[in-house]
Amino acid sequence: MSILEIKDLRAGIAGREILRGVNLTIAPGEVHAIMGPNGSGKSTLAQVLAGRDTYTVTGGTVRLNGRDLLDLSPEERACEGLFLAFQYPVEIPGVSTSYFLKAALNAVRKYHGEPELDAMDFLKLMKQKMKLLDMDAGFLSRAVNEGFSGGEKKRNEILQMAVLDPKLAVLDETDSGLDIDALRIVAGGVNSLRGADRGILVVTHYQRLLNYIVPDYVHVLRDGQIIKSGDKNLALELEARGYGWLEEPAGVH
Amino acid sequence: MTQLMSNTSYLQNLLATGPNSSTPGPDWLQVRREEARQQWLRAGLPAITDEQWRFTDLSLLAETSFSTRHCAAARAAEGRAAGLDGAELVLMNGKFNAQTSRLPPAPVRVTFLAQASGAELATFEKLLGAQARPAHHGLIALNSANFSDVVLVEVPGGVAVERPLNLIVHSVGTEPFATYPRILLKVGDNSSVTVVINFTGPNNLTYLTNSVLESYVGTGSRVELVKIQREGTAAIHIGSDYAHLDKDVRFQSLSLNQGGLLVRNNVTVTLAGPGSEATLNGLSMTAGRQHVDNHTMLDHARDHCESHELYKSLLAGRSSGTFTGKILVRPGSQKTDAKQTSKAVLLSSQACMNSQPQLEIYADDVKCTHGSTNGPLDEEQLFYLRARGLAYNQARAMLTVAFAGDVLARVWQPALRQTLEDMVVTELHRLEREEF
Repeated sequence: MSILEIKDLRAGIAGREILRGVNLTIAPGEVHAIMGPNGSGKSTLAQVLAGRDTYTVTGGTVRLNGRDLLDLSPEERACEGLFLAFQYPVEIPGVSTSYFLKAALNAVRKYHGEPELDAMDFLKLMKQKMKLLDMDAGFLSRAVNEGFSGGEKKRNEILQMAVLDPKLAVLDETDSGLDIDALRIVAGGVNSLRGADRGILVVTHYQRLLNYIVPDYVHVLRDGQIIKSGDKNLALELEARGYGWLEEPAGVH
Repeated sequence: MTQLMSNTSYLQNLLATGPNSSTPGPDWLQVRREEARQQWLRAGLPAITDEQWRFTDLSLLAETSFSTRHCAAARAAEGRAAGLDGAELVLMNGKFNAQTSRLPPAPVRVTFLAQASGAELATFEKLLGAQARPAHHGLIALNSANFSDVVLVEVPGGVAVERPLNLIVHSVGTEPFATYPRILLKVGDNSSVTVVINFTGPNNLTYLTNSVLESYVGTGSRVELVKIQREGTAAIHIGSDYAHLDKDVRFQSLSLNQGGLLVRNNVTVTLAGPGSEATLNGLSMTAGRQHVDNHTMLDHARDHCESHELYKSLLAGRSSGTFTGKILVRPGSQKTDAKQTSKAVLLSSQACMNSQPQLEIYADDVKCTHGSTNGPLDEEQLFYLRARGLAYNQARAMLTVAFAGDVLARVWQPALRQTLEDMVVTELHRLEREEF
């Protein structure tokens, strides 16, 4: 069974359709990349998958491990194993990173009928995961994303992904705002989370990230539809030639 | 409203809720009381046409017929408020209740006007009403005419009082009644103290607590004043707190509001010596039809003083709030640094908040900033938390506690801070149970 199955997904905002029939299937262990020019609907797709209610789904289905995703609240989706690494991680003053992550992890555990982690076990887990992303312990006591640099915010996203251990991770423009060193660390973190049971969907404007997180499949999204799919070489071709050479799909416009 | 203001029978009625003439006191007191009576009869209640009261309608007060019989005995146990340790001084309907009080140890001194004589009496004569003048507004006049006793808490110079001094101002009654607590705090030079004042009273009964506190802080002292307003659900609470700061004083106040139906907190601080710093914090958590009005006045009377204000409100149900921050920088008060922030989170679409800064600056080398933000909980933050698996209500609770957090983080005493945090978390659960 596939981890993610999107069929003819249509969604928009304020009566304007942005996703106009997206089809995509991700099998366990696969890494897919969605590329596309600005305004093609990449981030909308990521947000709609996570359950952002500013977008209205007008058609199609999305299944996560066979379960209808569109019926679920954002928190249920997260508990079912969907993780969105935000393009713009939100600052939450007054809530420490460790308090937040412990609450999140225990919410997911509770959902699956597992006992909550106590402070000691949680700290042990955090130390192990933070090593992966080259983060020091001081990070935990800081308020969530508050005053973080761009690189720290993105590392925090991948740390959360590592702790929450999702079935499907959607990375929305995770490379934006990162210098090359931060990019390496973040990509290293993501790569360590690749596994036979997990699917990863990388949403990116540039090919650069895909040098570090090498995808199995690359799709081009344009005007709310996937107009071309291929392997990692498609990303290289896009990098060399831009998006202009791709024909618009017949029957649209 | 105008008609109510001119209705002398309710003015007389409220005057009659005060002491009877069998407790005359010294001559100067009788003269002042009479002046206050006259002032009250002239001024009456502030009306919403008064710029300083435009968001707080006191009609409820004017429409209530308060009992003129005085509640004699109150159950002793009612004077205790849970969760606060240290010395306790219990005022029951404005009068010292020895039975339930544990007076603070020396060198802190507690004296009462009704028993004062000699030098003590002279201190009362000097301090009482030196800041809280009947002419300020009708409710000061009413309190000055009607208080049944005055408590003076004195911390001599050069003393660091380790544990917070707790005052419990408790109202007791079974029919609508009015009380007039009157408190003086005098801190000598180079001392430090934290004073916690708890206001409590019965639920589901209209009563008035019209309280006046005057603090006098000597040079180089550190004073923290925490007011916990937990009046009954139908109470009208008018608190007027004044502080007069000498040189190089560090003064901080926290106004924590969760009780009462109609609440007005007047905080007036005079920076009377150079190099002093006043920090005024507030946190209001309201629901139902509660109204809390925080009205602050920082009088920068001298140079090189700083003031910081952070007032936060969490409003659920149909509750409403007001913050007015007046900053007066007098001529010659150079190098003044005044910062004022007011933030409100509206937990329901029917809650509302008004914020208004009032800056009057008569010096040219000063820094004054103010900012205010009112709105619902941040949707982006809520979604972020939910996208990590936190249920909607859990995410909301996390954000409301976080919102309140930085006000409480400023409290100096760690144990007190913890007590207040626990109190606030409990209170926020009450708000979460309200309809949004």
